[in-house]
Amino acid sequence: MEIRKRTQGDVAIIDIEGEIKRSDISDVTLHQVVKDHLEAGLRNILLNLEKVRFIDSFGVGEILASFISTQNLGGKFKMARISKKIFLIFDVTMLTRVLEIFDTEESALQSFPKV
Amino acid sequence: MKAARFDRILSRVVDIRPGERPFAALLFLYFFLITFPAYIIKPVKLSLLLRSFKAGDLPYAYLLSAVLIGFVVALNARLIERLPRRRYQAGTILFFMSNLVLFWFLFKSHWPGLRLIYWFWSDVFIATTVTQFWIAVNDVFHPHQAKRLIGFLVSGGLLGGICGSLSAGRLARIIGTESLLLVCPVVLVGTFVVVQALHRRRERVEAGDGVRPHVPDRRSSVPSHPLEGFRILRRNRYLTFLAGVLALAVIIGTLFELQFNTILQGAVTDKDARSAFIAAFYGILLIISYLFQLFVSGPILRRFGIKTALVIGPVLLLAGALSIFVVPAAALLGWAVAARGVDKGMDNTINQSVRELLYIPVPAAVKYKAKLFIDIFVTKFSSGLGALLFLAAFTGLGWPVRKISFLSLALIVVWIVLVRLIHLEYIRVVKQDLERRWEDGHKLVAEKVDLDMTRLIFDTIQSREKSSSLYLMNLFDLVGKDNLTPELKKLIASQAEDYRLRSLDSVLDVGAEASGLDVGDILDDADWQKNIREILELDSYRKVMDDYLHKTLSGTNRADEISRMEAAKLLGLRGPSAEVVRGLKALLADPSAEVLNYAIASAARIRKKELVPALIGHLVNPQIRQIAADALVAHGEKALPALKSHLEDGRKGLDLRRAIPDVLARIGTPRAADMLLGELDRKKAEGLEAEVIEALFRLKSRDPDFRFREKRIIPLVLDQIRRSCRLFLDLCSAKAEASCPDVRSDVRMALALKRIFELLSLVYPIEDIVRAYQNLLTGTERSADYSLELLDNILNKEIRDSLAPLVEAWPPEERMRRCRKLLLESRRPKP
Repeated sequence: MEIRKRTQGDVAIIDIEGEIKRSDISDVTLHQVVKDHLEAGLRNILLNLEKVRFIDSFGVGEILASFISTQNLGGKFKMARISKKIFLIFDVTMLTRVLEIFDTEESALQSFPKV
Repeated sequence: MKAARFDRILSRVVDIRPGERPFAALLFLYFFLITFPAYIIKPVKLSLLLRSFKAGDLPYAYLLSAVLIGFVVALNARLIERLPRRRYQAGTILFFMSNLVLFWFLFKSHWPGLRLIYWFWSDVFIATTVTQFWIAVNDVFHPHQAKRLIGFLVSGGLLGGICGSLSAGRLARIIGTESLLLVCPVVLVGTFVVVQALHRRRERVEAGDGVRPHVPDRRSSVPSHPLEGFRILRRNRYLTFLAGVLALAVIIGTLFELQFNTILQGAVTDKDARSAFIAAFYGILLIISYLFQLFVSGPILRRFGIKTALVIGPVLLLAGALSIFVVPAAALLGWAVAARGVDKGMDNTINQSVRELLYIPVPAAVKYKAKLFIDIFVTKFSSGLGALLFLAAFTGLGWPVRKISFLSLALIVVWIVLVRLIHLEYIRVVKQDLERRWEDGHKLVAEKVDLDMTRLIFDTIQSREKSSSLYLMNLFDLVGKDNLTPELKKLIASQAEDYRLRSLDSVLDVGAEASGLDVGDILDDADWQKNIREILELDSYRKVMDDYLHKTLSGTNRADEISRMEAAKLLGLRGPSAEVVRGLKALLADPSAEVLNYAIASAARIRKKELVPALIGHLVNPQIRQIAADALVAHGEKALPALKSHLEDGRKGLDLRRAIPDVLARIGTPRAADMLLGELDRKKAEGLEAEVIEALFRLKSRDPDFRFREKRIIPLVLDQIRRSCRLFLDLCSAKAEASCPDVRSDVRMALALKRIFELLSLVYPIEDIVRAYQNLLTGTERSADYSLELLDNILNKEIRDSLAPLVEAWPPEERMRRCRKLLLESRRPKP
């Protein structure tokens, strides 16, 4: 899994490529990357999953942990460009009730509260 | 330079922040310019009435006002609803100005009835103009702001009263009593100008905020009912209590006033000497009230809050009412002067300030109508009622003047009970304005997502590509869950492919591919699970599988990863036994994260204490940390001894120790809470503090009824506050005070404050603390003000005073000074 970071305005965008799974984590986990952003004062986090092919239960745990950390500091955590296959699983497991998922990065960015 | 010096002098008596100065100055002037004429109108009213009536007839005049004032209230309520505020206030001032000229003209006729009309009119003037002033204060300031500034504002009124009294005293002999009325319109021109300036400034400020000033829509509003104020009171407990407090204060004040008049009439029989005495008394009283308001009321409110301020007046009057029974006859006049002085003095100063502060958090929709009703009608009615009680006791029952104090005592006791009730209601009303700005993340996820189920679904789908046995074992688990929805069954069934049976393959050498088995059939087959469970419990099955597992997990022929995953899963499906525990112990040391995932999940089902140390060890591994934590939580109190020893062992890595508090919070028993607190008490909690405090907060969030002892938590809170002050001072550059951090913009200060509030939530109502914290951090100016006011009213004094430099919007130099003072005081040895 590769993680790339960029910002647009006050939103930290995290681009992930590959598979978010237990057996294939990079030096730093997704949750740690999100926590680093939060500690730097960025409270709006957008996860771009366009190039993610697969997520296992560990990956779900990382996403939920990131959501919780962001939420508890009053921030917003959102996701965009998730594949249909993964979205279906998120939907059936009711994760979509908690996680905001957008079709495009633009619509996700517009949904963040303006300062 | 002059402005800066003036600010410095002013700052000694009142805490005015930037942006507040123009409004505070205008309101000070406004109050000055309405009490100035009021203290001319008052002596004129009394003097003119006493030309035609006796002092003993005064209670009847009070009663007359009380009966007629209701119509004035109804009219004002309609006007305030229909007219823009600016027009209502300006129009009223112009109306009163014209009335004063008219009265001056009509007094030439010397008609006695006109003096009674003037008596009533002057009550209306004073009540209406003062109420309008307080409406203006309500429109401009929030509760916490108002509490800081009210001392200053009321002092404007007192100064106006002093100037009015002195002017009346000087001018009465020169131009005559009736002509004094012509001075008032001149002063009211100034009032008119100030009111216009106030509204212009408010409109400018609101335009800058993008807020349109409120303009009532005349077409849509329903006309007020004359008794609407009364109806509002009936429906609103807080306003009823407020009206009750005011009514009691006025009734008791009237009793004290009439006792004073009666004693004075007996002690000073000469009419002119009596007039001079009264003039001197009220003049000196006003001066003392002014100084008291400027230097005492404000600090009392700021330091001790509304709760203490509410009770000062009635307690002092209680002492006064009791003391009349021990005062000798010769000293009765002295008692009367002191008692009336305290009563009127408190009424002019702290009682008035507190009453007005109590209005501020009331929603605007009901506030102004209720205020008109209470301030005008209830006040006058209570005054009349007080007069009636006095007449009934003094004239009707023939009670001596001392005995009247029995009435006062009874009413003061009720007053004291009522102030306690109203303070509780005040807190509730302030809280109503504070909403949560975000929900707790853990709670949101826990309420909406079944994490175990979600994990199992993902594992099931993933395992389909790895191993048919693993897939089927996961399906077996899924089928066992009650909440397998039709959508989920469809998803799993629709994604099923051909698979191979492997577990039984390797033992029974079946070696065949099974195909065409419809997973949908399995999911709907109620007997399938029953059959599997029965097989798992067969002694023969256990013996065979124990041998298989032993071969799989040991020796040089250690099986591949998939087989180990299957073994780990299978062990969890079997009941706890020595072989299962042995097998899991081996698998919990496996190098593969995938194997560990299944092994840990199985350990969570088996829940044997022997597995706990291995699980704890996995808390450092980000790949399986979460599932290891879940497994430890599943073990509950069994895991506590091992968790405690790891937490306290400084030789264990910080990463590991940092993961333990969250597990303890989720276990959530009193023993787990004690362990967390113990870790904070020990000075060796460096590096773990944030996690331990967050864990305690999480524990409390999940169970708000969980009790922590205040004696244990308060010192921790104060310690955190001191550390935050130290952080604040470190972050402030000595040279550039503008670089001092603010909790809203600086993440380090926000996190420091978060820790303080998380600890506070352990001993104060968690919802109140959370709302206050969230609104301080990200709320509007208004909601931040309400948060500060809420904290002022619920926190103990020591915490409130210590926390203030971190949360109040004081200038940076003031915050630094207070932080340094706090840190210095903490270093002093306690007595």
